[in-house]
Amino acid sequence: MTKLIETDVIVIGGGMTGAGVLRDLAARGVKAVLVERGDLGSGTSTRNHGLLHSGCRYVVRDEDAAIESYHENLILKKTLPGAIDETGGLYVKVPGDDDDYVKLWVEANRKVGIPVEEIPVAKALEMEPFLSKDIEAAFLTPDGALDPFVMVVDIVADAVSRGAKVLTYHKAVKILKSQNRVTGAVVQNSITGEEIEIRAKMVVNSAGPWSGQVASLAEVPLHMINNRGMLVIFAHRFNKHGIFRLRKPGDAEAFIPTRNVTLFGTTGINTDDPDDTSLDRQEMIGMLREGMPLVPKIFEMRLIRAFSGNRPLYQENGADDPSGRNVTRGMALLDHQNRDGLEGFITITGGKLTTFRYMAEKTVDLVCEKLGVSAKCTTHEEVVPHRDAKEFFKTVDMAPAAKNKIRQWAGLRAKSIEETMKKEKVNTPICECEQVTWAEAESVIPENEGFNIEGIRRRTRLGMGPCQGTFCNFRMAAVAVEKGITSAKEASRELYHSVMERKKGMGVVATGETAKQLQMMEAIYRISLGLRQEAEAHV
Amino acid sequence: MHNTLYPKPSFDQCIKCNACVIDCPVSNVSLDFGGPKHLGPELKRLIENNEYIDDSRIDLCTLCGNCDLSCPENVQVSTLLAFSKEAHAEIAGTKFRDFVLANAETVGKLASVFAPITNLALKMKPVRKIMEGVMGLDSERLFPSYRFKNFNRIYKKKTANTKRKVAYYAGCYATYNAPEIAEAFVKVMEYNGIEVAKPDQKCCGIPMFANGQMKQGKKNAEYNINSFLEYTRQGYDVVVTCTSCTLALKKEYIMYLQSEGAHELARHVYDADEYLRMLHAEGELNTNFAEMNVKAGYYAPCHMKSQGIGNPAMDILSLIPGYEITDVAAGCCGQCGTYGFKKEKQDISLSIGKSMAEAVEEVNADYTVTECGMCKNALDQLTSKKTIHPMIVLAEAYEKAEKRS
Ligand SMILES: Cc1cc2nc3c(=O)[nH]c(=O)nc-3n(C[C@H](O)[C@H](O)[C@H](O)COP(=O)(O)OP(=O)(O)OC[C@H]3O[C@@H](n4cnc5c(N)ncnc54)[C@H](O)[C@@H]3O)c2cc1C
Repeated sequence: MTKLIETDVIVIGGGMTGAGVLRDLAARGVKAVLVERGDLGSGTSTRNHGLLHSGCRYVVRDEDAAIESYHENLILKKTLPGAIDETGGLYVKVPGDDDDYVKLWVEANRKVGIPVEEIPVAKALEMEPFLSKDIEAAFLTPDGALDPFVMVVDIVADAVSRGAKVLTYHKAVKILKSQNRVTGAVVQNSITGEEIEIRAKMVVNSAGPWSGQVASLAEVPLHMINNRGMLVIFAHRFNKHGIFRLRKPGDAEAFIPTRNVTLFGTTGINTDDPDDTSLDRQEMIGMLREGMPLVPKIFEMRLIRAFSGNRPLYQENGADDPSGRNVTRGMALLDHQNRDGLEGFITITGGKLTTFRYMAEKTVDLVCEKLGVSAKCTTHEEVVPHRDAKEFFKTVDMAPAAKNKIRQWAGLRAKSIEETMKKEKVNTPICECEQVTWAEAESVIPENEGFNIEGIRRRTRLGMGPCQGTFCNFRMAAVAVEKGITSAKEASRELYHSVMERKKGMGVVATGETAKQLQMMEAIYRISLGLRQEAEAHV
Repeated sequence: MHNTLYPKPSFDQCIKCNACVIDCPVSNVSLDFGGPKHLGPELKRLIENNEYIDDSRIDLCTLCGNCDLSCPENVQVSTLLAFSKEAHAEIAGTKFRDFVLANAETVGKLASVFAPITNLALKMKPVRKIMEGVMGLDSERLFPSYRFKNFNRIYKKKTANTKRKVAYYAGCYATYNAPEIAEAFVKVMEYNGIEVAKPDQKCCGIPMFANGQMKQGKKNAEYNINSFLEYTRQGYDVVVTCTSCTLALKKEYIMYLQSEGAHELARHVYDADEYLRMLHAEGELNTNFAEMNVKAGYYAPCHMKSQGIGNPAMDILSLIPGYEITDVAAGCCGQCGTYGFKKEKQDISLSIGKSMAEAVEEVNADYTVTECGMCKNALDQLTSKKTIHPMIVLAEAYEKAEKRS
């Protein structure tokens, strides 16, 4: 017999958009269940640049989008401190780029009230020694970096603390309807195949690039334009500010420092398949070349991997947009009752990470209107608990770097991690590049989901440094087996999976040191440990 | 002339292979040290444009340089470590004791004035106990003794007039503690028809770098560079009898100063035996050595290994008829300059020295040959064999041959 759950709202898709919607619903006291086919954030929301937009990038082209971004920029800095690094941005003009654009840009920023400040070129070079000596102008902006891994997990955790339910590794396979009304959905456990029926008054489709697929479960036509973008990761954080090229927005023009690395990108190529996160070396080289006017040594700097994600873009054909609720060109909020005559079904897509909260606010306003709930949005004021844990770990005996990491990272888990550390000797990093200890890793292993190295990686940065898990992936698997958390069989399968995942991203950048790193990884996993695909075949 | 193309001190190339950890003498005997990989490239990456992380375990690094040698990717690990030492010393404030040890030269100058008294004091138990208490110096450690007739008082020649001309960098040890080494070197050069000048010089800075006093070390480096460049520009070769000083002049000055002058000087710097080996290759070496029926063991100091020039002392000494010399092939001695004098490092220092001592005993030679005065200190304390500088052996072989003819 299928299990049955009853709720008010089902949110399909656990990316940043779905997470935001879930939290806002919970904050307004609406019962909700989030279903996500994989791990939280395993779609586009952890496959992006991690830029907290200030709005200045779009200010010339689209004033409304700029104002919206700047507004959210200020709100997120205040309400999501654990995920945001207020690096500031540095917009730089290089020779050959249009002088008139600079004038337009400065003027547009002034008009909408985004504070940008010109600084002497010499000062910019002093702050950012990797910048080209040829730059002609530099402006400080209020851009920042956001850590999408932390963001999605913390927003969902906050929703859960307010009573929301989450089903990860559950895919929506059916949308239930009765006449012109949505009555719920059937979701399937991605690991066991078990199905659950969820009954609800409304369904919110926040499946990002997969929104078209989810809409088709409800037999609603929805055409997504998925735009694949590629990014590379440099081995260390070589800049202090986000560095941008001051010209009409185009490809490959931003260097974003985040945690211990710098991200650079991006490109944009339309793709039909939302699961297409393929990587192309030529595309990457073209992108790096575009970066040279800003950072001339770009080809000499070590890259650790590349990745790509799909921007969920949606454009209703102007006049055919009966919903009329396209708040800006950036985001699309579709009321399928108006649009397609299907009650209780809403799609929220487009937009960006920076505006996720605003997207959620508008979506939940609509949901509440339909459910007759009068509660107002509070997420612009309520602070998500900080990740800081400076009060903890003071007396724990561990290396300063590992202590530094855990004190910036543990957040609400600090107390329990500290207790584990004091009880057992688990303070030596398993992942040395990113200083992840077993105690930290263990604290993020969910109880009923099985052992999943990728999940641990997203929550701790395990294996995200220059060696890409050459050493920590097998240590992690081995310790987990030793501690009785998983079976040897499951651990080998996970190990194989995560090593393959790391290799994919490394392969495309693999020249120089990364090629050697990859060889060493091969030597360890294939030759020494004899890890083979058979491990995968057991699934 | 040497090639001085050292890689820039960068951490990006590290592939985390741990070769440096495996070769690190300290990591080998202690889990209290974070290891060269972590305290070098790993930590440097984590603090780049990020919050600074101070790790006091950097004090346990001896700057022996074995990590640089073992790195397959040419990461200059020890340079990164030296800069961490500097940063840590600034944050933690340098101990008075480390200041004294770092300034071997000042101490040397002072001590040799009072040499007879100092030596007695350094050997007396109660004084040693006070030193341990007040300064954290290990009361079980032997200290090198100081000489009243230091080399500065003996040798004042400032120019050379032969075809090959040597500008001798004597270093603190051969100046204040063992002037017989310096004298032997001058003699060896004389036997080869080469005059030796002794330019003005200051401590090479190695003990300062090792104690985190990068600023003072760099000052000394600048002084020596300027002083010796005046000579090299007139065709002098710079020859050194202490392996640590040689490494400083050949490589550390370049790594820490990254200056043109440091590069220019380094091209002309030779270890004494390396210099003789070059003379031999050019057919210029006087090989009129007396036969010496000796079985010697050669102990290569870490800073000799770091130069990447093989074991020139063995190459030269084996030219002496009847002289049989075997590489004892031991690791670090554990003394590591001033390191072994520090009380808190005594356990580590002595455990590192243990395997060296075993290797020396196993070879069971008549005596041990080594260039480094600090290694000698450990060898004297931990083994039953006498320790001799190769220049002393060579001078003796020349002298005996002369007497015989
Ligand atoms: C290369 C690139 C760079 C970017 N850079 C930035 C930036 O710097 N700053 C910024 O603000 N924004 C940026 N963005 C945009 C931003 O990443 C996206 O707008 C945002 O992540 C979209 O989130 P989402 O939740 O709508 O979609 P997703 O994160 O894709 O979430 C959708 C989720 O739905 C799940 N799902 C799909 N089908 C089902 C199903 N049937 N059942 C259950 N679950 C399902 C998926 O697994 C997925 O997790 C960038 C995007 C890209 C591609």
